[in-house]
Amino acid sequence: MNKRRIISLVLLLLISLTLVPTAYKKVSGEVEGPRLGGTLVIAHWGEPLSFNPDAQVDDAGYAIHSLIFNKLVTLDVDYNVIPDLAYKWEVSSDGLVYTFYLYDNVTWHDGEKFTAKDVKFTLEAIKKFKGVAYEDIKVENIDRIETPSDYVVKIYLKEPYAPFIQFLAWYGTFILPEHIYGNVTDWLDPNLPALQEPVGTGPFKLQEWVKGDHITLVANENFFRGRPYLDKIVFKIIPDATAALQSFLAGEADVLGHRPPLTEIPKLQETPGVIVQMEPVPSRWYMCFNMRHKPLDDVRVRKAIAMAINRSEIVEKAENGYGEVAEGTYTPAIAWAYNPNAKLPEYNPDEANRILNEAGYARGEDGFRFKLTYVSWQGPEEEAMGQIIKESLKKIGIDVEIKILEFSLWLEKVYKGDEFDFTVVDGFQGPDPANLRFRVTGETPQSLNLAHYKNEEVEKLFEEAEKIADTAERQKLYWRIQEILAEDLPYLPLVELIVFRIYKSEFHGFPWEEEARGKVGYNDYRLVWWEGGTPIEKPAATKPITDYTTAIVFVLVIVVVVAALFYVRKREKAVVEEEVAEETGIEEGEVE
Amino acid sequence: MNNLTPYIIRRGIQTILTIFLIIILNFFIINLAPGDPIRVIAGEFAFSNPEYVEALRKRWGLDKPVSERLFIYLNNLLHGDMGFSFRYMQPVAEVIGERILATLLLTFTSLILAFIIGVSLGVYSARRIGKPVDLALSFTMLLLYSMPVFWLGILLILFFGVHLRLFPIAGMFSSRVSYTGIFLVADVLWHMFLPVSTLTLAQLPIYYKITKASVIEQFNEDYVRTFKAYGLNREVIFKKYILRNAILPPITIFGLQLGFVLSGAALVEIIFGWPGMGRLLLDAAFYRDYPLLMGLYLVTAVSVALANLLTDLTYVFLDPRVKLR
Repeated sequence: MNKRRIISLVLLLLISLTLVPTAYKKVSGEVEGPRLGGTLVIAHWGEPLSFNPDAQVDDAGYAIHSLIFNKLVTLDVDYNVIPDLAYKWEVSSDGLVYTFYLYDNVTWHDGEKFTAKDVKFTLEAIKKFKGVAYEDIKVENIDRIETPSDYVVKIYLKEPYAPFIQFLAWYGTFILPEHIYGNVTDWLDPNLPALQEPVGTGPFKLQEWVKGDHITLVANENFFRGRPYLDKIVFKIIPDATAALQSFLAGEADVLGHRPPLTEIPKLQETPGVIVQMEPVPSRWYMCFNMRHKPLDDVRVRKAIAMAINRSEIVEKAENGYGEVAEGTYTPAIAWAYNPNAKLPEYNPDEANRILNEAGYARGEDGFRFKLTYVSWQGPEEEAMGQIIKESLKKIGIDVEIKILEFSLWLEKVYKGDEFDFTVVDGFQGPDPANLRFRVTGETPQSLNLAHYKNEEVEKLFEEAEKIADTAERQKLYWRIQEILAEDLPYLPLVELIVFRIYKSEFHGFPWEEEARGKVGYNDYRLVWWEGGTPIEKPAATKPITDYTTAIVFVLVIVVVVAALFYVRKREKAVVEEEVAEETGIEEGEVE
Repeated sequence: MNNLTPYIIRRGIQTILTIFLIIILNFFIINLAPGDPIRVIAGEFAFSNPEYVEALRKRWGLDKPVSERLFIYLNNLLHGDMGFSFRYMQPVAEVIGERILATLLLTFTSLILAFIIGVSLGVYSARRIGKPVDLALSFTMLLLYSMPVFWLGILLILFFGVHLRLFPIAGMFSSRVSYTGIFLVADVLWHMFLPVSTLTLAQLPIYYKITKASVIEQFNEDYVRTFKAYGLNREVIFKKYILRNAILPPITIFGLQLGFVLSGAALVEIIFGWPGMGRLLLDAAFYRDYPLLMGLYLVTAVSVALANLLTDLTYVFLDPRVKLR
C-alpha cells in the first residue's frame, strides 16, 4: 500500500517533469541577418539612481541612459569620437569655436521636435546645477553658446581646451529636453516626474520600471537613424554576481552584465551557445604609495618596492591570468597617448634588497626593516593582491599588515583620511589622457591623488597640454609626464584590465562586434538583432506562441500537484480509518 | 478575560516606548557610523569637484549638525513623513511600500507552510518514534537544520533552475513576456517556488523538533494515562487534549518568527534577486542611505514589537494558566 503510494507519486512527478521542458524552445544555427524583433534580457548589476542622466554619477544607470538619451557626439568601443545628435562638427583653428551640425529629423519620445535650443539649454543647466560633467568639460570655460539655426550649435570657449570634445562624448552630457526641464529650479527635485519617466531622443523608450526587479525598454519607432532591430530590452536587476551568473546559465538572461567571478570564465567559455569576448580597456589596477608617510616619501623605497613585486604573478594569481602586465605609467588602451619608453622597474628582488641596504634601512632582529599597512576594500581581486604584495615584500624585509574595509569605510579612511601606507585602486583612465590629471595632481578629496604626489613640472605639463589643439604636440607633453611618473613612482601600475562581454550567440550586432564596431556608441544596442526575429522584408511577427505554452504548462503542473496532494490525503484518511478499526492496543510510539 | 483591556493598554504603551527608544538609538548608530554618504553618492572620483560635492551635501541637509538632524527627523516622523531616500530619490515610505509586499509574499507563505508542515511532521514522527520513518525524518531535519540557508538556496537553484530548468531562479516576474490577470498571478507563483521552498525548508526543523518533543512529553502526562485507563478513544485523547497542549511551544516559535517577516529573508532575497526589503536594507547600508536605513529599521522594529504583543495575546487565549500581570 505504501509502495503503491510512492510509485504513483513518482509517476506523477515524472509526468510533470516531462511536460515542462517542452515549454522551452531554442533558436540556433546560422541565420542571415539582421532580423527584426525579439527581446534582449540583460542581467544588470544595479538600479539607476534616477533618469536624470546628467545630475549625478550613476554608473548603474549609465548603460540604460545611453539607450534612452543621446549626446552631441559619443564614443565607440575604441574610444573614438563618433557622431550622435551631431552628424558633423568643426573646430576653429585657434581651438576656441566648436560648431556642431545636428540631425534635423530628431523628435523627443513625447513627440516634440528636438532643436539646437535643447543643446544650449543642457550645457547651461550643467553649469547652473553643477552637473556631473561640470569639471570635465570645464563648463566655466564656455564663454557663450549660439544657435544660428535650429540645427547648428556654436560653442565659444574662453581658452582652448583640447579634450573638450572627448569629454562631451563621455559622461553626464546627455542632451535633455528643454520643454521638460526648462522651468525647474532644481533638476533633481524628487517630485519631478522626469526623474522616473524619462523623455529622451534615443533608440529605446522606457516602458516600465519595477523597482528592484526590472526595467523594460521598447523600440522607438521614430528614432532618427531608423528603428532599432530589437523590440524590447529588459534590464533584469540582480545585484549578486553569483546569482546573475546562475540566472544567465539557466537561460533567463541573454547578456551577463556582471564581471563574473574569474574562476567561472573557463566554464562559461565551454558552455555551448555562449560567447565570452575579452578586450583590453583603459582601466588598470595600480598601487598608491602614501608619500606623506615615512619612509614612502623616499623614492628609493618606492623603487625597491616596485622591484620586489612581480606583476606577472599578480596577473596570474589575483586576476587568474585575465589581464595584461602593466609596463608603463599610462594605459596603453589610449594608444596615441601611451609612451612605451616610460617603463616601470623590472622585477628584481635582489636589487631591491641592495637599494634598501644602501639607503640605510637596516633589518631588525626579526628580519624586518619596517612595517607598512595595506588598506583595500572588499573584493577577491583586492584581497588576493594584498596577499601577494605581503609575501613579496617580506622577501625584502618589509612587514605588511593587511586591512580590508567595506567600500564607504575605505573612502573615509583612505580617500578622505590618511590612515594607510598603500592601497590599490582601479578606474577608467580614458577617454583622454587629460583625465590622468585627477589622479596625479591636486589634493584629496577634491582629486584622486591618493599618493599626495606633488610635482610642479607635471602640473604645468598637464595645463599646457590641455590648451594645445594639435594631437602630435599634445602627445609630446603627455609622454614627458609619463617619463617623470616612471622616475618618481608615486604610483605603481600593476594590471591592465580586460573587459568580459558575455552573451548568447543567438544575438548579433553588439557595439563590439565587427558588424557594428565604430558605427554605434559603446553602450548602444540599436544594431543588435536576434536570430529568432523575422527577416527585414517581412512584417514583424506577432507574439511567439511559446510564451503562452509556458503559462499553460505551468497551470497544468499545479493541477497535477494539487491532484496528487488530494490523492495522498485520501489515502491517508483511509489508512487512519483502517488503523482505528483494527486497533488492538497501545501504539508503539506511546510510552506507558 | 474581563481584565484584558488594561493589559492590552499597558502592553501597548510599553510597545510604543520601546519603538521610540529604538528610533533614537538607530538615529545615532546610523549617523555616527564611519562612512560619508556624500562621498558614496558623489561616486567615481574623476568627477569629484568641490562645487558638485557641496551642492550634494546641501541638498540632503547633511551640512547640518547631527543633533539638529535628529530634531528635524523626529518632527517629520510625527507628521508621518519618513524622509527622502538619497539612493532612490523618492519618499522613504514609497520605496518601502514598493518592496514590502514582495517580502511578505515570501516570508508569510514560507512561515505558514513551515508551521503546518513542520508541526504535522513532528506529530507524525512523535507517534511513530523509533520506526524507520521517524529516524529518516529526524535525520533529514538535522541535515536541514545544519545547512546554511544561502547554501540550501544555491543547491535548489543548481538542481531545479540550472539543471532541470523547472523553475526560474531570479526575480519575481518573467522578463521576456509581460503577463496580465491570472497569468501574472501564475507567473509570480512560479517565481516564488524556489525562494519559498528554501525559506520553508530552512524553518521546518525548528517546528518539527519542538512539536515532536512536546507531543512526546504530553504522552507521558498523568492525565493521558488516566484517560487511557478510562478507555477513551485514543484518537479523541490525541486530538482533543494532547495536540491542544503540545501546540503551544510551536506557536511561540511562530510568534517569534513573525517578528522577522520583514527582514528575515534578506539572504534568500539576494540569492534569488527578489525585489524585497532584505535586499533594500543591504543596498541602503552600502550606500549609507540614512533616511532609508532609518525607515527600514523603524518598520522592522514596529513589526517585531507588534509580533511580540500578538504572541502574548494569543497565549492568553490559548493557555488559561497565563496570568495577566
